[in-house]
Amino acid sequence: MAEFTLDCLGEACPVPLMKTEKKMSELSVGDVLVVSIDHSCAMKNVPEWARKQGHNVEIEEVDDGEWEIVIEKAK
Amino acid sequence: MSETNSSTETGTQRVRKPRKPKKSQIPFALLLTALIIAFGFYLGQGSNKLPVYWIFGIAFGYILQRSRFCFTAAFRDPCITGSTSVTRAVLVAAAVSSVGFVAIKYASAMGGGDSNLNMAGVSPIGLPLMIGAVLFGIGMVIAGGCASGTLMRVGEGFLMQMLSLVFFIAGSVWGAHDMGFWGKLNTNAPKIFLPDVFGWFGAIVVQGLIIVLLYIAAVKWQQKKMGSIE
Repeated sequence: MAEFTLDCLGEACPVPLMKTEKKMSELSVGDVLVVSIDHSCAMKNVPEWARKQGHNVEIEEVDDGEWEIVIEKAK
Repeated sequence: MSETNSSTETGTQRVRKPRKPKKSQIPFALLLTALIIAFGFYLGQGSNKLPVYWIFGIAFGYILQRSRFCFTAAFRDPCITGSTSVTRAVLVAAAVSSVGFVAIKYASAMGGGDSNLNMAGVSPIGLPLMIGAVLFGIGMVIAGGCASGTLMRVGEGFLMQMLSLVFFIAGSVWGAHDMGFWGKLNTNAPKIFLPDVFGWFGAIVVQGLIIVLLYIAAVKWQQKKMGSIE
């Protein structure tokens, strides 16, 4: 149940998605990854990708136009 | 999903950024709406069409931002993740606009206008188009957005894309400047206008058929790549 963070602030998509994809493959089941993003497009496609992969996803808007996506690796 | 708050390996509670108390943005929204309407009235003085353009522009930007509609993602996501949901959205948009396009063109043809507008609005399919399409495709993925997407994100306040916008404008100006040169390469290029080939009804059927086939291909692609068809 380790927790990892991924800083993608200032990165335009698709960079956050690709970084998340790469990082998630390193994690083991039950680990949590927190991705910080400020690109509205990534706010849509990162959670969408993670949900389709079957992970648990939670989005939190920490500031105006800045989000934290919490992904729990489910499989 | 509440597990994310449970203790981590080191036993410490997960630290989250404290949420900033949010200011209500409704006063700004009301003010902006009033300004948009006022400017619309101001535009209406000279010509009758400018307010219509104004409202369509605002509506287009609003819908683009709220729906996070992204032409770049439509062509990029199938390659990166295999997700084709945006691709299918673009296909649906193309299908809807085809019907509207036929309605407008057909009405103008019935009203005595040129049936094909002398092909003025039809671009030749030639070497410049191919080079341009490849360059645009590479550029939009690096820049993180196509033309409309870049404009929309500049409006959102994403600074990196201000840089994209500067070079996007520079590139457009440069392209417009060299248009004469590119036009020379197009002298023998074919111009294809579907209603001329298949007739008005045939054109919409052929176009619809192509879109449906692409849609089916998109669904199959996602099923193969991601194992889901959502």
